[in-house]
Amino acid sequence: MRALEDVTVELRSGEVLGLIGPNGAGKTTLVNVVTGFDVPDSGSVELEGRDITAWRPHRRGRAGIARTFQGSRSFGGLSVRENVQVAGLGVGASPREARRRASRLLDLLGLASAAEAPAAVLSHGQERKLEVARALAIEPRFVLLDEPAAGLPEAEIPQFAEVLRTVRDERGAGVMLIDHNMALVMEVCDRIHVLDRGRTLAEGTPRDVRGNLDVTAAYLGESAIPEEGQPDADR
Amino acid sequence: MRRGDLVQLLGPIGLVVLVGIIGSLGFVSPDRQVEILGALVSVAIVVSLYVFVGNSGVVSFGHVSFVAVGAFAAGVMTIPVTLKPTITPGLFSLLARHSLGNVPSLVLAALVGGVFALLVGIPLMRLSGLSAGIATFAVLGVTHNILANWTKIGPGPLTLTTIPQTTGMLQGTLGAVGVVLVAFAYQRSRFGRKLRAAREDPAAARAAGIDIHRERLWAFALSGTLCGFAGGLFVHQAGTLQAGDVYLDLTFLTLAMLVVGGVGSLWGAVVGALVVSALGSFLLDAENGDVGFVNDLLGKPLWGGSRLVGVAAFMALVLVLLPSGLTNGREFGLPRLPRIRRPVRGSAS
Repeated sequence: MRALEDVTVELRSGEVLGLIGPNGAGKTTLVNVVTGFDVPDSGSVELEGRDITAWRPHRRGRAGIARTFQGSRSFGGLSVRENVQVAGLGVGASPREARRRASRLLDLLGLASAAEAPAAVLSHGQERKLEVARALAIEPRFVLLDEPAAGLPEAEIPQFAEVLRTVRDERGAGVMLIDHNMALVMEVCDRIHVLDRGRTLAEGTPRDVRGNLDVTAAYLGESAIPEEGQPDADR
Repeated sequence: MRRGDLVQLLGPIGLVVLVGIIGSLGFVSPDRQVEILGALVSVAIVVSLYVFVGNSGVVSFGHVSFVAVGAFAAGVMTIPVTLKPTITPGLFSLLARHSLGNVPSLVLAALVGGVFALLVGIPLMRLSGLSAGIATFAVLGVTHNILANWTKIGPGPLTLTTIPQTTGMLQGTLGAVGVVLVAFAYQRSRFGRKLRAAREDPAAARAAGIDIHRERLWAFALSGTLCGFAGGLFVHQAGTLQAGDVYLDLTFLTLAMLVVGGVGSLWGAVVGALVVSALGSFLLDAENGDVGFVNDLLGKPLWGGSRLVGVAAFMALVLVLLPSGLTNGREFGLPRLPRIRRPVRGSAS
């Protein structure tokens, strides 16, 4: 079966693009394809006009494409600060520069008080924030966040939305946000792309998409979804 | 560098120097001195091994290959030219007609170990997990058979003798300290940090721009360089060498040392090497009937072969009771971690 079929997504600099859809829609697969962790059977990934489909993940990281992962993927044995520092080092920053970035990002994400603790002891929510800090430490031009707000206390969501806006406005980065928190997605995203079973269901501004009944149906898992939305298993 | 970092270095260096000083004391018997010197050389080998295994998290069963080529290079090239035709006939004439001093031979050993590791590492570092371990083991087998048979580069099946025993207590101590310093500098460097991140989570490391193959290859080559150097110390301590001396027993022993001390830390490599050396020396003495209370207890010396069995049993015991080794994978005197509240782990995913 195909995880993604005929999906075209464009992430532009200086915008937050929401990527939503029910479980199994292909959101994480799309992130994996863009960041090089999955290689597509057909289709291509372009970065500012250059075909990077054959690039390995670390090369895309150095080219400015950052991501977070759905699961817990901190460097557990390293301190919180080292987690962020090493991402800077990974893309070639000097140790001094990497330290500077780490301090700034830990402040931005509100992790400064836990900076010297091993990442393994962080709560789930803190770990998500650490992942975001780590992704930002490569000073990305594009950053793909796979459920970064999962596990965050509801009270911290507005602050997190502010972080996303900062990344977009101050750094001019393009942000792709996958999240099930619809309030966050609707509030912070400039555009939204809706996937269902590997296909594009809708795209547009939050207002447009909110009005799209299909989206609601897909989200609620109702049987109102048209039959042609089924992934084509035999092709 | 922060003060806490220097404290981490103090433990390993201090312990090595302490052992070296004890070994130099007048009342220590010559036999005991040989054991202590052997322990220092073991520290050098195990720390060299740690540079790769500890930082990358990839187990290598083949590192004794680099010790072996270093030992043979240093050994063959320090035998007096006049003796070479009798000790190791059949050498390439370049090797037969030249000899080196002690220090140049150690440099040569390091170079040979490093270049060999680099060449071997280029294909091998693409592997991971079990296949990497097995492949390194294959390298050990190949290396051993070449050294044990090819008489143009060494004695082949014969024993290399009359190697100058230039590694005394001072050189052994300095050598071990030097290896510890290099290992420490590496793990604090940007290269070491990137590799340690890759050890913790390869996917996240790649997302952060880290080229895991390349970082592993650097570590492998550095580790091979240090192993070659340690092999030079090994051969200049022993004075004789045959291919079997740097093969399976040494592989098992050095891995046991690393595991016992704790694979995850430099401190663990040093502690493990010294503790297992002490245990091994004790058991060997007991096998030779030199330990009074064992003789009294059994009515005879300890059974032959008890040393390796004892070390293996000790390693198994440590693995069961302290899976992260005696040091729990921590560096020496790690500054106390700030107390942070342990929040309840969220259930959302």
